[in-house]
Amino acid sequence: MTCAEAAELAPAFVLGALGAAESDAVRRHMAACPELHAEMAELHSVVPALFGAVEPVAPSAGLKDRILAAAAIDLAEREGAGSRPAPSRPSPTQPRPAEVPRRGTDFGSIFRRPIWSAVAIAAALAVVALGAWNVQLRDQLTGLEAYRNGVVQVLDAAAQPGAQLAVLTDPTGSGGPSGLAAVAVDGSVAMVMRDLKPTTGTQVYEAWLIGANQVPVAIGGFKVDRSGTASFVTPHPAIGEGVVVALTLEAQPGATTPTPPILAVGTAHAQSS
Amino acid sequence: MERLASGDLGALDRLYEQYGAMAYGIAYRITGDRSAAEDVVQDAFLGAWRNAARYVDARGTVRTWLLSIVHHRAIDAIRRRRPTVELPDSDAAVPDTLTLPDTWADVELRLDRAAVQVALGRISDVQREAIELAYFGGLTQTEIADRTGVPLGTVKGRLRLGLQGLRAALLPPDAADRASRG
Repeated sequence: MTCAEAAELAPAFVLGALGAAESDAVRRHMAACPELHAEMAELHSVVPALFGAVEPVAPSAGLKDRILAAAAIDLAEREGAGSRPAPSRPSPTQPRPAEVPRRGTDFGSIFRRPIWSAVAIAAALAVVALGAWNVQLRDQLTGLEAYRNGVVQVLDAAAQPGAQLAVLTDPTGSGGPSGLAAVAVDGSVAMVMRDLKPTTGTQVYEAWLIGANQVPVAIGGFKVDRSGTASFVTPHPAIGEGVVVALTLEAQPGATTPTPPILAVGTAHAQSS
Repeated sequence: MERLASGDLGALDRLYEQYGAMAYGIAYRITGDRSAAEDVVQDAFLGAWRNAARYVDARGTVRTWLLSIVHHRAIDAIRRRRPTVELPDSDAAVPDTLTLPDTWADVELRLDRAAVQVALGRISDVQREAIELAYFGGLTQTEIADRTGVPLGTVKGRLRLGLQGLRAALLPPDAADRASRG
C-alpha cells in the first residue's frame, strides 16, 4: 500500500469502517511508513468526540454486581495460578497467625491482596457452587461488599497513631470465621468478620477483649444474616498493648463470660513505632 | 488505573460508577438491544480489568480508552449478526485506533457533550449520516455506499469532510486561531 492509498482510506480507517483486509493493510503501512501521515492523526483525534454524541443510559441495577462477580472470579483464577509455585503461601481460607504483620510493616499492602484473594475466591466458589445468578449469590455479593467496607473501616482505624491491629483466625485451623479488629488508642474497637454462620433465635456473636489480667471483657454482641459477614465499631476503655480479641457465639445477649468454643481469636499489635 | 491493573476490585467499582452509564449508552446506541448492550458493557469492563496494565503505555484518557473498548465490542456484536460481513479480529483486546504511534500526539479537542452537539450541527446532514452509519452502525464505507445509494467515492468524501468539519469545530479557540493563521 502506498502513502496515497493509506491517506485515501484514512477517514474510514479511523472510524473502523474498513473491512478486515483493508484495515490490516493500512495498519501495516502505518507501522512501517516513515512519513507522519498528519491528516490521519488529525482525523483520528476527532473520533473520541463522537462518544459525546451519545446520551448516557442507566443499565439494569444488577449489571455492576455481575461485572464485579466476574472480575472476582478472574482475580481468583489469576491469584490461584500465581500462588501455585509458592507452597508456603497460607491458604486464603486458613490464614495462620504468621500472617500478623510485624511492628512497623506496611500492613495495608500486606493485607489488601490476601483479603481480596479470599474475597475473590469466596465469590468464585459461590458462582461455581450455585451455577447461576440467583438470590443466594446476590446475598454473597452483598456480604462481600459489606465485608470490603468493613475491612476499609478497620484498616483506617488501625492506621491511626497508637492503634493496634489484630488478625482473627479460627484457632482450630479448620477454616472457620476470620476477620480483623483495630483497637484504637482510646480503647474503641473496629471489627469486621466473615464466614460466620447466621444467628438464629436469641443467639448473638460476642466479641471479647482479654488484657494483661487475663479476664475476658465483653465489648459487644451482634447478629449475622445470610451474608455471613459483620462489622461494627464499639467504644471501650483502653486496656493496653498486646490485647487479645476473641469471638464466641452466645445463646443470648448479655453474657459475662465467654462460652466455648472460641470461634476466632487474635492478638493486637501496634502498627507503627 | 494502577490499582485496576493490580487487581483492585474497588477500582473497578469506581470505574463503573464513573463510566457505566456512558458505556451502556454507547453499547445500546450501537446494538439497539438492552440485553446485548449489557453483555457488551460487561465484556468491555472485564476486558479493561484484564488489560488495565496495557493502558499505562497507551495514549489518551481513561474515558477514551474504556469507551473505545465498549465501542469495539459493540461493533463486533452487531457485525456478528451479519454473517456476510468480513469480520475484523474479534479477539483484539484493544481497538486499532488505540495503538497508533506516539508521534500522533495532537492538540486536545473539546470533548464535552455540548461542544460535540454544536460541532455535529455544523456539518452537513449527509456527512453526519455517513459518520454515524460508520461509527455507530458498524457499516463499512462500501456498505454505506450501498445503503445510501451513492458512489463509494462520495462516501469517502463525506467521511473526510465530516471529520474535518468536526475537528475544526472542536478545536480550542486558541488552537483554531493558530490553524487559521497558519
